[in-house]
Order: sequence, then structure tokens, then C-alpha cells
Amino acid sequence: MKRVWLVAAIVVGVAQAGSVPLMAHHSFAATYFEDKTQTIEGDLIQFQFRNPHSYVHLQAPDEKGEMQRWAVEWGSGMQLSTQGLSATALKAGDHVVITGSPGRNPDDHRLRMKSIVRPKDGFKWNGTFS
Amino acid sequence: MHRIRIAQVVAFAVFAMLLSVPAFAQTDFSGMWGQRYYEDQEERAPGGELGDFTGLPLNDAARLRADSWDASLYGIAEWQCRPHSALYMWRSVHPVRIWNELDPITGEAIAIHANFQDLLERVVYMDGRAHPPEEGPHTWTGFSTGKWEGDMLTVNTTHLKEYIIRRDGVPVSDRTTMAEHWMRHGDFLTIVQIVTDPVYLTEPFIQSTDFILDTHLQFVPELCEIEEETDHPHGWVPHRLPGTVHDSDDFAKKHSLPAEAVKGGAETMYPEYRGKLKQVKP
Repeated sequence: MKRVWLVAAIVVGVAQAGSVPLMAHHSFAATYFEDKTQTIEGDLIQFQFRNPHSYVHLQAPDEKGEMQRWAVEWGSGMQLSTQGLSATALKAGDHVVITGSPGRNPDDHRLRMKSIVRPKDGFKWNGTFS
Repeated sequence: MHRIRIAQVVAFAVFAMLLSVPAFAQTDFSGMWGQRYYEDQEERAPGGELGDFTGLPLNDAARLRADSWDASLYGIAEWQCRPHSALYMWRSVHPVRIWNELDPITGEAIAIHANFQDLLERVVYMDGRAHPPEEGPHTWTGFSTGKWEGDMLTVNTTHLKEYIIRRDGVPVSDRTTMAEHWMRHGDFLTIVQIVTDPVYLTEPFIQSTDFILDTHLQFVPELCEIEEETDHPHGWVPHRLPGTVHDSDDFAKKHSLPAEAVKGGAETMYPEYRGKLKQVKP
């Protein structure tokens, strides 16, 4: 029975991947070092749940220990909503740990979201988006 | 008497057929068309890598601009909600809804509309009108006219804005013109683009893109909102000074390709170049 559900989930996933409109007007590979990973930990300033891309803004130290305002790019509001997330999923002041691909321009202090964890209540996301 | 009746039936049948066959449009492109990444998935979905100029007949000026281009441009407020221009929109992740605009009297298709998720709506005029004069406004859609060549729709577009031809910053100028061939084979739509730019391309750039008719596709408009994305002062313009970055070299190294080959140019597009590649060290 489990196998039936697994197959059904794969079929639905593949069908959705082919049909759900996505918004990606810039190239991720041109914007981020996709083969690198960076982790930042700090307090959330703002969660922009929007199109074309959602953003998590975070106050967190950089590799030198200096506090920076980070912009972490996430999926579009439409994409995240299909993954069960909403505009109220994160709030200002939340302490979170984010892992992502660092931006090519270091002055931007930006990441492309790979995972986010909120230790306080165990909230976690490590999905994918285009 | 019997012969006359048969002739009447045949005449009626022919008349009925004439009434039911569309008189003007050879192919109906109406419908929702979903993207199919049979080719160039990486370029169309997440976006290609920096410095990948392979297959592009670009010149040195285009190469210089591409090497100076910074993808962070899309993060500034003025750029966040820019649509792709008509020449790139086919290569985007957006589906397209196509419909005919009919003359209410004659039923003739006087225009064909192509709407890309409400981000860009192109109008292809089929009524034989002329293109605007050279000094006419340049827009993201450009100005398009179409004509039938058998079952194939050929669209000519002028008056485009300057844009990119690939999402790693390779530019095309506002003097770019584009011929498109729209072809339908059953539920498949193939768009062949022939892009000509006297400023940045040394010869026409040709590519094809595929779609499939999808009657279940939900056409969800994506309202774009402008927000401050990064912590830069207002007026900051992302850029990279020539010579300060070597992304094209990185791309070549990553894929074990000669740096010369990934820098593009018309010569690199043709099979004869393989012979030259054998003499070039990666």
C-alpha cells in the first residue's frame, strides 16, 4: 500500500513540475555560487512572502564576525504556498539558522536558501525551488 | 432523376464542408501551452552558468558587456519586476496562453495574442498593417506582424528594447529584429526564433523551443511586488569591472573545455570548429 502512495506522489510531483508556472527571471547560477554552501545564524528582521521571489532578511554575523543584514532568496510566494508555507510562517525576531549558496557579489550579503531551521519550535524547511 | 438527386447531395455536401472549414487561419494555436524542457532545461529553468557563451554568434562588444554584467541587477527595485522581452520570453519558465482575435463581421483572425502569465502579452497583427517608423517606441513586446506560410505562422518583430539573449548577461541591442516560425504538430508547439542584431551578433542566432497543449494548466497571474532586497544604498548599480572577474575561465575549467571555445562567436558554432579544438589545450 505504501508503495502505491509513493508511486502516486511521484506521479503527482512529476506532473506538477511540468505544469506549475514558476517565476525565475534571473539565473541562479549567475547570481550565486551554486556549488558552495554557507551557514548563517541570527535574528529575523523581515520575511517577504512575495513574487517573484520571497526573501528572509536576517541580522547575522559574517565570516569575520561583523554583523550584517543578510538577504536570503527563497521560492516565490506561489511556490512556497504549495509547500504549505504562508506569510505568517516566520516572524520578525525569530532566531533561525539558514544554510544556502552564497551570492557571487560578497557585498550583497545574500544567499540562496537551501534550508532554514527555527530551533525554538523545530520549524524546518529544506525543500527545493526554481 | 436518380442522377440529379446524387448531384444535389454531392453539391450540398461540398457546400456544407466549405461552411465548416476555417477560411483564414491555417493552424489554430489557441490554448494553454505548457513548457517542455526537452532541450536546454538548465537554461530555461534555473538559468545557465556565468561565462557560458557557447553557441552564440556574439562579437567582442557583446563579450565585454557580458563579462561586466552582474546578476545582482535583478535585485534592485527598478529591475525586480521587469518582464523578459518578447525575444527571451519563449525561453522562460512561463507558460503561454494563445488566442485569436477575430473580426466580428468576417470571422478573420486580425490578431493573435500570446500572453505569458500576465507578465507580457504580445500581439501579432495579422491584418497586413505596416511596422511603425524607426523612431517609434521600443517596448518589451516589440511590434509584431504575422503571415501564413502554409500551416506555419511566420512572425516578424521589430521595436524591441535592449535586453539579454541568455541569462548570463549576453546583450542584444534595441536594433534587434526577430523572425519566428510557429509550428504546431498535434498537441506540440515549436517556436523557431531567428534573432538578428547588427550591434552584438555577427550573424543570426537561431534556436527552437517546445511547448505542449495542456488543458489542465492553471493560469495563475504572478503579481510582482517591489521590495528592498539587499542592503545597498539607493542608486547603487551592480556591475563588474572588466578584468576583475574571470567567470568564463571558471566555466571552462569546470567543464574541461578550452577557454577560447566557451567565449562563443560564430566560428565556434559549426562542426568545422572541432578540428581547431583538437589543437587547443583545455
